[in-house]
Amino acid sequence: MNGLLQQDLNQETFTINLGPQHPATHGVLRVKLVMDGEYIVEAEPVLGYIHRMHEKMGENRTWAKFLPNCGRMDYLSALSYNHGYVAAVERAAGIEVPERAEYLRVITVELNRISSHLLWFGAFVLDLGGFTPLLYAFDDREQILDLLESVTGSRLTYCYFRFGGVYNDIDDSFITGTREFIKRLRKRMPMYDALVTKNVILIKRLKDIGPISKDMARRYGATGPVARGSGINFDVRKHEPYSVYSEFDFDIPVYEEGDSMARYMVRMDEIEQSMRIIEQALDKLPEGEIQPKKAVKLVKPEKGDYYHAVEAARGSFGVRVVSDGTNQAYRLKLRSPTYSNLSLFGEASRGMLLPDALALMGSLDLVIPEIDR
Amino acid sequence: MTFGLACCAIEMMATGASRFDLARFGAEVFRPSPRQCDVMIVAGTISKKMEPAVKTLYDQMPEPKWVIAMGNCAISGGPFVFEGQYGIVEGADKFLPVDVYIPGCPPRPEALIEGILELEEKVTGFRRWPRVEAK
Amino acid sequence: MLLTKIKEALNSLYEDIQAEPEAAEAAETEAKAEEAAPEAQAEESKPVEQEEGAEAEAAAEPPPPPGPRETDYKAKGYHLDVDLPPEKVVAAAEILNRENFFIEAITGVDWIDDQQLEVVYDFNHFDELCRVVVRTRLDRNNPEVPTISHIYQGANWHERETHDFFGIIFTGHPNLEPLLLPEDADFHPLLKDFKA
Repeated sequence: MNGLLQQDLNQETFTINLGPQHPATHGVLRVKLVMDGEYIVEAEPVLGYIHRMHEKMGENRTWAKFLPNCGRMDYLSALSYNHGYVAAVERAAGIEVPERAEYLRVITVELNRISSHLLWFGAFVLDLGGFTPLLYAFDDREQILDLLESVTGSRLTYCYFRFGGVYNDIDDSFITGTREFIKRLRKRMPMYDALVTKNVILIKRLKDIGPISKDMARRYGATGPVARGSGINFDVRKHEPYSVYSEFDFDIPVYEEGDSMARYMVRMDEIEQSMRIIEQALDKLPEGEIQPKKAVKLVKPEKGDYYHAVEAARGSFGVRVVSDGTNQAYRLKLRSPTYSNLSLFGEASRGMLLPDALALMGSLDLVIPEIDR
Repeated sequence: MTFGLACCAIEMMATGASRFDLARFGAEVFRPSPRQCDVMIVAGTISKKMEPAVKTLYDQMPEPKWVIAMGNCAISGGPFVFEGQYGIVEGADKFLPVDVYIPGCPPRPEALIEGILELEEKVTGFRRWPRVEAK
Repeated sequence: MLLTKIKEALNSLYEDIQAEPEAAEAAETEAKAEEAAPEAQAEESKPVEQEEGAEAEAAAEPPPPPGPRETDYKAKGYHLDVDLPPEKVVAAAEILNRENFFIEAITGVDWIDDQQLEVVYDFNHFDELCRVVVRTRLDRNNPEVPTISHIYQGANWHERETHDFFGIIFTGHPNLEPLLLPEDADFHPLLKDFKA
């Protein structure tokens, strides 16, 4: 009889819901889990709880009126999304951007990337159970938000870029403030290293957890730190340089292991690389206009379809613009990196323990409104 | 209960962090479970797919309970209302009784603190922090 | 170079496409290139919008032979434009998979004036920059195209989203349920004649 009971217990799997209401880190994601005890047999993410119809709005708004939407898609690195959309429309309409504006774009985008990685860092360690690094990360992040607020006017959902440039110039207090901030953050990084990265508990929670092979990343189209943590040397800024990224000297951190620890290390190293880019950009910042001489009044790209990709904090963000020559897009496709990154969760989490699956999900750096658009 | 749906959730987290520090006002305890909460802060856009879940969570909260609608999306749909929209509910007050509205996209952490103090005044009749008058 | 290699590999898919009009109009193609040009244009005038600009000036010239087209990367953002009938899409995906391309996006475009739905596949490569766009046109009232989710698992979600927004049926897809819309949704929002 004992054997019979054992058999029944082993064969029983139950379905459980994770979400859609989480502690507010990821957003509204629901994962249908079929569990065998503590092990996941099958995980299926269910999306759509924050579907805000961005692509339909792309067809209903003029080109310029869509700009506020870009910041709301991935609100943590909103400037990269601004950049992707604006660069795609500039490519379609053949608008030239003055050099100073390009440098300003790079500086603000990289600052935004640092703030996004800092928030990811805090939220990720919070998921694993450590509350303190979140407060330190938010402290650093508030400094960046102050800097960006003095230039763009908003704290979170920026709408700073315009077709052909940016709309506000920076002043000396921004430059000195940024340099101060970089000096301060450089001093703080060893503290994060000692507190978190070298922490035995974190290493045990992340090492060899959630391996993603190169082939899996390729078949699912994963980009960004998820791919770079699996040994794929792919970063849009070096692979197909856009804006003025070819002028800067920076490295792409690539780790071969493919586990959550590798993805963690990629993002921590990227913070340092972003600081290098900002320093070089501040040194080389040219004088000049921030909008083209011939002001862009009405944008009417030629008929056809165009594609542009930028490196957002989470991967390669692509915009496909199909234009029919009017002042509204005919079709606007937004290729969000987290969409492809999350699609491999079903396959990657098979047979894992539930807390390990949460560590994997945290290391994928999800922002759900970006997936649902 | 933090009902952090979208961008406003980040400002809510920033309010709870060290710079703006909601703990000063005794409102630090954010519990994801509805059974232990008095106030539901609806922060973010409510989509039609999510609406039944929000209603369920509200119903699960024990009386007395209040609702704060944070951000333009929770007040009236926000920037996502356009003609022919098919996916979002235009405001939390379409199906929930809202007590305090905090406008902004996203509202600054100071605005959220002000909203919580307003709610406290509505509940207790006593405002503990002087109101800042515009000159 | 990767671009030429993949262009030649994809060109092999067009052999029977080029052969068909030749078989049907064997006498006409070679000798009467100019007369065949407006006729072939009438057949091909529906698909790709890039050719519409060329159409006006191609009245005197014969249209380019069907095959993968190299595009100006600076102007367009991609390198190769491949226009295929729906049944050849799986073969193209297999060729690209063999060459280690990764899938970037799949989406649809509603050409209501032509009564056609277009499915656009974006592929890119990790090692060498080469963006390949595969397009196919479907009849708007009966849009069906075979799935590629057995080759590229990432296409699973992209195809579900395209089905959500346009109603395109991907035959052979394991579960073509709504992904972004509610589970019981029966409307397809991104169609041009959609009314909420």
